[in-house]
Amino acid sequence: MRTQIRQSLDKMFTAFAGSVVLLIAGVLLVVLVPMFRKGLSAVFFTETVEFRKLQMDLHDRGDERTLKQELERVAAARKPIYDILLAFSRGLDMEPRVKEVKNIYQQYGEYLNYRNTPKEQYTECRKQAKEIRDTILDALESMDKQVVLANLDKALAQKGNPTFKDTPVQHFFTVAEQYRKTAQTVDLTKRSEYLAGLRDVTAAIRQLFGPLPGEDEPPLPMDQYGATRMDMARKALHTLLWDEQWIADGPGKPLVKKIIARKTQFTGTELEPLFDRVEKNFNALLLPRHRFYWQYFIDDWVNSHYFGGIGPEILGTLLLTVLSMLFAVPFGVVSAAYLVEYASDNIWIKIIRICINTLAGVPSIVYGLFGLAFFVITISAIGKPCILAASLTLSILVLPVIIRASEEAIRAVPQTYREASLALGAGKFRTLVKVILPAAGPGILTGIILSLSRAAGETAPILFTGVVAMGPIPNFGTPAEWVRNPASIFGGLFQPTRALSYGSYDIAVGDRISMLVPHQQFGMVMTLILLILVLNVTAIVIRSRLSKKLRGH
Amino acid sequence: MKLQEAVAPGIRMAKYSAQIAGKSKKAAAGFTRPLLLTPSEDMLGFLSGHLGRAALFLITATSVVAVFLIFYFVIRESAPFFFNKSFPAAMARIKEFFTDSGWYPAATEPRYGGLALIVGSLYVTLGSLILAVPLGLFAAIFLSDIAPFNLRQICKPVIEILAAIPSVAYGFFAVMVFAPWLQKSLGFSTGTNALNASVILAIMALPTIISVSEDAMSAIGRETREASYALGATRAETMVKVVIPAAHSGILAAVILGMMRAMGETMVVWMASGNAGRIPSPWWDLSQSIRTMTATIAGDMGETPKNSEHYYALFTVGLTLLLFTFSLNLVSEYLLGKVMKTSRGGK
Repeated sequence: MRTQIRQSLDKMFTAFAGSVVLLIAGVLLVVLVPMFRKGLSAVFFTETVEFRKLQMDLHDRGDERTLKQELERVAAARKPIYDILLAFSRGLDMEPRVKEVKNIYQQYGEYLNYRNTPKEQYTECRKQAKEIRDTILDALESMDKQVVLANLDKALAQKGNPTFKDTPVQHFFTVAEQYRKTAQTVDLTKRSEYLAGLRDVTAAIRQLFGPLPGEDEPPLPMDQYGATRMDMARKALHTLLWDEQWIADGPGKPLVKKIIARKTQFTGTELEPLFDRVEKNFNALLLPRHRFYWQYFIDDWVNSHYFGGIGPEILGTLLLTVLSMLFAVPFGVVSAAYLVEYASDNIWIKIIRICINTLAGVPSIVYGLFGLAFFVITISAIGKPCILAASLTLSILVLPVIIRASEEAIRAVPQTYREASLALGAGKFRTLVKVILPAAGPGILTGIILSLSRAAGETAPILFTGVVAMGPIPNFGTPAEWVRNPASIFGGLFQPTRALSYGSYDIAVGDRISMLVPHQQFGMVMTLILLILVLNVTAIVIRSRLSKKLRGH
Repeated sequence: MKLQEAVAPGIRMAKYSAQIAGKSKKAAAGFTRPLLLTPSEDMLGFLSGHLGRAALFLITATSVVAVFLIFYFVIRESAPFFFNKSFPAAMARIKEFFTDSGWYPAATEPRYGGLALIVGSLYVTLGSLILAVPLGLFAAIFLSDIAPFNLRQICKPVIEILAAIPSVAYGFFAVMVFAPWLQKSLGFSTGTNALNASVILAIMALPTIISVSEDAMSAIGRETREASYALGATRAETMVKVVIPAAHSGILAAVILGMMRAMGETMVVWMASGNAGRIPSPWWDLSQSIRTMTATIAGDMGETPKNSEHYYALFTVGLTLLLFTFSLNLVSEYLLGKVMKTSRGGK
């Protein structure tokens, strides 16, 4: 009995340990899958005609003639929608109407002056016109349907009046007729409600199709174009079709979110057909097409990541990591070689080892502080946060990683190699350079790749030493300038840069506009993770090949 | 290259006789220059060997220089925070920093109490360790003793990748995915809180804990396990009663290294902890926002003018952090040294 309990306990132990490893693998999946699923949509997505327009405007990509045809087709499809919207807003928004009516009255006065009408007739005509004007204005002001209709009819009764034939007064009657139509369909008591709804509808239409025809071009690029992607277009369509309201169920009860179809809000009005029309012709209005937007990895952003890609961020990360490797690799490999091949076990070596381990344990933010105090402030040749300071800081951070990895690789070279080389008469240095380092090469390379990925992912050390969220691409000059002044090639090193790691932070937490475009947020992080995964998988593959080779010996 | 070190006297003699033979007849092997070095060449080789060695030593010593510089500059920039007036004032400052929990550098009467920040750091660190240590230990046991070789070959890269994912990506995950989930499904008032940061830090500390403690367990030799099995113990009993006690110093080192990782982590806590500079009350309420030392430095330094009081205070926070991790590092060094001795067979 006891044995059974012990054995089942043992089995449970095994199963639990196994499930913990499964759990960890699961966590890895939970972290990575949403990043990749949402991040890839920054590159693979369904574009709309607005996106093609944007690409043509900014980067001159695509075929101009087909785009023009497409834009014409889309404009034709959108026209009825704009017409509905315009007609309805005319009926509702009284201010422009009142202005229009007053305008007509003024025009009529000018018209009479122009005609050199005799004074008596002039006053008479003016008086009559003024009467019509006031009845219409009364109608426009009133909320009561009966009053409105009575006033309008009164005004329209003057239509046959020969005095006003072919004069601007005729415009009064068109206005009155139009308004009569609206007044018959629209519940005038709900006018302010309709107006608020109309504002939302217009905003949604703007989000879908860009600025309305006849509107001024908005200053921000994000407002200049409609929905460039189908997922964003569907979101805008949702706000167009459905209204989210927070309604209290009763006095003292918490607010509840309710989703109401806008169509029901506008039942019976001129606006009602708009919703069905947009929903049914959605594809014809936007002309969607699948797209592999590889330029995401080279484009600069537009309007703080609302459009565009992350090219400068990738460039900055590559610059920072490669530069830091340039500084760190020679020191790291030489240190490792010395520690394995030459160092005896004395107190100095012990101190060096303790220092390497200390370096590995220093928190990354303290590296940032150190970089700020030393490279940025103390070294006056640098003097301000820049790429050089940031990559120097990073190089100290990865130094212990490189030393440890290279040490391990050099230690793994079989002792027989050394003996064979020494037996051939080579000195210790020559053995190191010609035999040991080449044999340890793949292992050292693995270490370098791993520290490259470490440097690419670090954010805290570069926070104060040379990274910015938004700034110009570092300018390394042109070949012509290099000829004139060879030092100018290094000018870029003294400028701050953007980087994927800090960008991922900023786009998630710091940047307000980016919150509207989750694909951009996830796209940036996905690129960073992708870069690091590729580096790590390369390192793992090299190492597994190497271990096979070493086992073969 | 004229480096000719480590040549045994016997070989030298053989070369000498070969050279004499070569003088009378042309050398059969085709040597064109004398094999024996002249005294000056010998001296040159000796000197260059030693000089090269010295150069290599100097390059290796850059790590020492780097550590020295880091300490020097962090101390230099934090010193004015304390030592700007008299000695009693300095003591009062130090006392304020470690006992006051109000961190209000922007107030008209600024207060630089670091207690809430230190407690915040310890809070998320311990929270993450509570999660990560048991999980990491079981995973290490699985990898060192249970999993067959092939499975281990698959598991190791998974853990490596877990370690390689940059902290900002974890922070991003915490803010964009985990925080909304916490808020929605557990009904917290805010998703960015101590629990969020602790869980994510636990994920980040896991790889360190697993790999170091697995090494420690593997360092306990086969014989120890076999002795236990021979006495009739099951695998679970062997692990719990024999291997883990024997590997305790290595496991402790693993825990400490994981702790250092969690404590020194910046981006995750900055993004996920909510950055509210107060000590949670009641103390066990993980759903409250906190603020750590690292997040304070990262968040404040950008807007702080150089050589202001606030700037020095932030460096003081950095120095505290550095001293914390440095002492933890020394402890782990000591413990790992013990593991090395056991694996070499000594006691």
